[in-house]
Amino acid sequence: MGLIRLIIVGFMVLTLIYFASSIYSGSVRREKLEKRWDADHPGEGETEARDTYIKEGMAAYRGGLRRRLLLLIYAVPAILVITALILTN
Amino acid sequence: MQRLKTILKTVLIVLVLGLFHYVLPQHDVGKITSTEVIRMDFSSVNRFFYAQSDSGNQELATRDVRLINTQIKKTWFLGFFQRDSEKVMVYRNEDTGWIWPPYFKFDSSDLQAEASANLSPAGAEKWVVITHYGWRNRFFTIYPNAVGIRPIDGPDVRIIPWVNIIFFTFLIFAYFFLRAMWRQFRERSIDPMLEDAGEAWDKVEDHAGAAQERATGVMGRLRAWLATWRKKP
Repeated sequence: MGLIRLIIVGFMVLTLIYFASSIYSGSVRREKLEKRWDADHPGEGETEARDTYIKEGMAAYRGGLRRRLLLLIYAVPAILVITALILTN
Repeated sequence: MQRLKTILKTVLIVLVLGLFHYVLPQHDVGKITSTEVIRMDFSSVNRFFYAQSDSGNQELATRDVRLINTQIKKTWFLGFFQRDSEKVMVYRNEDTGWIWPPYFKFDSSDLQAEASANLSPAGAEKWVVITHYGWRNRFFTIYPNAVGIRPIDGPDVRIIPWVNIIFFTFLIFAYFFLRAMWRQFRERSIDPMLEDAGEAWDKVEDHAGAAQERATGVMGRLRAWLATWRKKP
């Protein structure tokens, strides 16, 4: 019973952390893209080309490795629990 | 207000440090003198400081608790500096199970056997490192929970608290991560919203200012007089 509770509660908490982190990570990436575009095209303002550039950058980010790394949020605690299990018992 | 904030902050910090001191593993160097099992009739005061019955068993109001009696080295400053003098210490030996505190300990019986195997008779002293969490309190009858026993050659050992090092490193990392997250959120989501709201508010204030200029008569003068009592910015 304890194990089931741990899995359910742990999954919920980790999902919360996962979504918060993924929003944060996406936001950082978007800001980076914006700044990069603005540095390359100073004084142009928010043009359509800028929008497509950012949209494409975000699409690349979504398919990329960095976003997959966020899945470590689930993997690392699971590994820690198993390590603790082995170490104490 | 400022004082209240300081008090609240202090209380919070003390509570969190207390929680860490209770839950994080600590190491004692000592000799095991005996092991025993006593029946515990928990009260509402000390029940909180015990785990549950062995993980395969049913939970009843009263049960037997394994104890490990020891003679340990006294220390200074959370066990960082060992002293020459010794004191007695009694540990309980309970399964923590799956949830809290997260030691995932299921081997209480084995640990008790290990303790018995490392008994230290007078004249042939056997030293061990006992890993535990929790507090000993004589008044409330609570014991620290022994998590591991490791035989050592002599009382002079260098113990590196890996779990605590990892934990506090993680905590610092988590703090900075959360701060970065919050700043990003504020910069990208709240500030733009506030700017919009600020512009709207400025408009409202302009209207209000115009209305005030129009306000004359008794109420207008009274309000102007009240305004003279207000603190000047």
